[in-house]
Amino acid sequence: MHLVVILDLSKHWLDAQSSLPFSRFLVHLQAFLNAYKAASTDSQLAVFAAAPGRNLLLYSDHEKGSLNETDPNAYPSFTLVGSTIAEKLAALYSDLEVLDEPCSLVGTLINALCYINKAITTGQCTPETDEPRILVFSVSPDLSTSYIPIMNSIFSAQKLRVTIDVCQLLGPETVFLQQAAHLTGGSYLQLEATEALLQYLTMTFLSPPSIRATLAVPIQDRVDFRAACFCHKNIVDIGYVCSVCLSIFCQPIPVCSTCRTKFPAKLVLQLKASQLPGITPQTSQASSTRAASAPSRADAPGTADFDVSMHSDPNSLPRYTRNGKA
Amino acid sequence: MDVDSDDSDIEISSRNKGKGKATAKKPKAIRTEAISAQPYTWEENFARSWDTVTEDATGSLQTTVDDLQARSRRRRLLHPSGTALRRTIIRHLVLLLDLSAAMADRDMRPNRWGLTLEHARVFVAEWYDQNPLGQMAVVGMRAGLGERICSMTSSVQDVLKSISEKHKLEPSGEPSLQNAIEMARSAMSHLPSHASREILILFGSLTTVDPGNIHDTIDACAKAKIRISVVALAAEMKVCREMCERTSGQFGVVMNEGHYKDLLLELVPPPAQVGASSAGRIGGDAVSTAPKANLSADLLMMGFPTRLPHSAMAALCVCHSELKSEGFLCPRCLAKVCDVPTDCDVCGLMIVSSPHLARSYHHLFPVGAFTVVTTRAEAEADACFACARPFPPIATSGGAATGGGDGVSPYGRYRCPKCSREFCADCDLFVHEVIHCCPGCGK
Repeated sequence: MHLVVILDLSKHWLDAQSSLPFSRFLVHLQAFLNAYKAASTDSQLAVFAAAPGRNLLLYSDHEKGSLNETDPNAYPSFTLVGSTIAEKLAALYSDLEVLDEPCSLVGTLINALCYINKAITTGQCTPETDEPRILVFSVSPDLSTSYIPIMNSIFSAQKLRVTIDVCQLLGPETVFLQQAAHLTGGSYLQLEATEALLQYLTMTFLSPPSIRATLAVPIQDRVDFRAACFCHKNIVDIGYVCSVCLSIFCQPIPVCSTCRTKFPAKLVLQLKASQLPGITPQTSQASSTRAASAPSRADAPGTADFDVSMHSDPNSLPRYTRNGKA
Repeated sequence: MDVDSDDSDIEISSRNKGKGKATAKKPKAIRTEAISAQPYTWEENFARSWDTVTEDATGSLQTTVDDLQARSRRRRLLHPSGTALRRTIIRHLVLLLDLSAAMADRDMRPNRWGLTLEHARVFVAEWYDQNPLGQMAVVGMRAGLGERICSMTSSVQDVLKSISEKHKLEPSGEPSLQNAIEMARSAMSHLPSHASREILILFGSLTTVDPGNIHDTIDACAKAKIRISVVALAAEMKVCREMCERTSGQFGVVMNEGHYKDLLLELVPPPAQVGASSAGRIGGDAVSTAPKANLSADLLMMGFPTRLPHSAMAALCVCHSELKSEGFLCPRCLAKVCDVPTDCDVCGLMIVSSPHLARSYHHLFPVGAFTVVTTRAEAEADACFACARPFPPIATSGGAATGGGDGVSPYGRYRCPKCSREFCADCDLFVHEVIHCCPGCGK
């Protein structure tokens, strides 16, 4: 087994009246990592962190530190993982001056892929038997500027046959990580009861992907296939796509900003005309119904909210007819 | 034709023409041929290639081989410039397979026909992977006729199934280029103007039996902006080369089994679009003189759906009127459709899943080539930024590595010009060939 864990150390941890303080999370994580280490003797582990302004490796089986003091009551490799991560985190936070710099979660994701790729090329990991996977602990909302890098990493993960699991600890659902988990066959978990974090982790993420087929792991109910537009980085559900380069825009524009293609003026006017005031807010509207549907998903996954969104969206029918005429 | 200046027997320039049976792994065979005579230009590549091979301290050739491999990889990486190109992405391709008696020739193992089918399967899978919005058809050339093997489809399974039924594809008779091209052309005549039309011919024969003048067919193809590419298994034929040049396609002659695959895989990425606003480069006659060169561009309205799970409440789908729970919701009218990409049956919106579009984005925003760390002073980092593996200590590796140059770092370190982080050779390759994003820049 080969597991790479990614921790998101962005400042969202500090927005906390959150029910999950970072220290408590670390305790849960340590227990989970111990369980993972104990599950098999040849299980390999690496932990990356996306800190403000930098990405770094917190722990890796390949660069083993040494234990200063050994506790006779503890299994040494458990204490090694815990103490290495704690030391590196302490060093990191004493180094950090500004917390405001953005965290590059996607950069860390690419790091993890490179790490696994290197392990495969050097023969430390065989994709068939080791089932390499990445577990992302995210606390930040979607960063729409990272849309293209995330998509590229998803396809690379598919090529390497790496499963991406996502655990969203705080904040709203992330569309892109949801797609990442869906497309690589991993699980996406939106944490609801923070006290039960460890239970969630062991039930959902401890078993390797091949075993999950026979277990009842939480399934992903609805996957949002929305994309980020290239012009304003909005997340849109109806976009205008350049037929030459497939760039996505949130509104009709005369010239493609990516490939400099000029679109026929008539067509742009036509599209603009069809985009009447009642229609423009459709992205926000649709996303608000989707957001509203999120809390209900645990008890009745994707059933009730489907009906609600059908009826509570008074503009859906007029919108369609207007577009049909245009 | 340009010939690479240095000699390495691993590097095979794909631009060379000619026919030979030598493989890269058999320097001896190459040597005897090269000494006896040099009738083919491609052999210049291999001239005195043994001179570059030197043993290292332990008497092994491994370091030289590694070095040559690193050089060829770097050359491949450095080749494309880091600028965004206009590429056609909604592609339509007709694959023309030669199924004439010439394909039973055994100069490639197991024979030309078997190898062609095998490589075609790899090509089709890779093509659909990189062109998820593309469509492909397969046409065979057998007994003087064009034969439809698979009609235009966007399903990779259909195409793979049709070319894996070997008993239906037994080679016989003479091929007819004209008949097959006409068939392919008619299959693509209805396509919208913004879609690309391409024909790829895998041609084993040295003859073609045509009912009329093939030059008329070539003219018609050039007029319809159909790009014809040929991979010839036997030798260069004038009509094939002319066909490719007229339609700005690519022409290549296979040198050995590995080269065959390389030639095919070169045709997988979407071609840069011709006839763009800058003066048309190739085949510019009909294309760029047209008053509106950008007539083919379109702004398409597309919707990105929500996928419903198996556990959702069952509802009727609009496409088959079947009661089922899983499906996709049209973002505009919230109708449920079974599969994407498709057009919504209620409101007509084109529904695609965004990963379909995103698969081609790396062609648009390529990562710039990394610079080479050549001097000891430049090497700062302890570990590769991407994979976090420590670099080998400089003192020892500096002695062993033969000097830099040719885009290879003596210390195995490469630096991103934007974020100035250092990367190892493996990660350099992986970032440029697979991920297409620099981890340091996050883009």
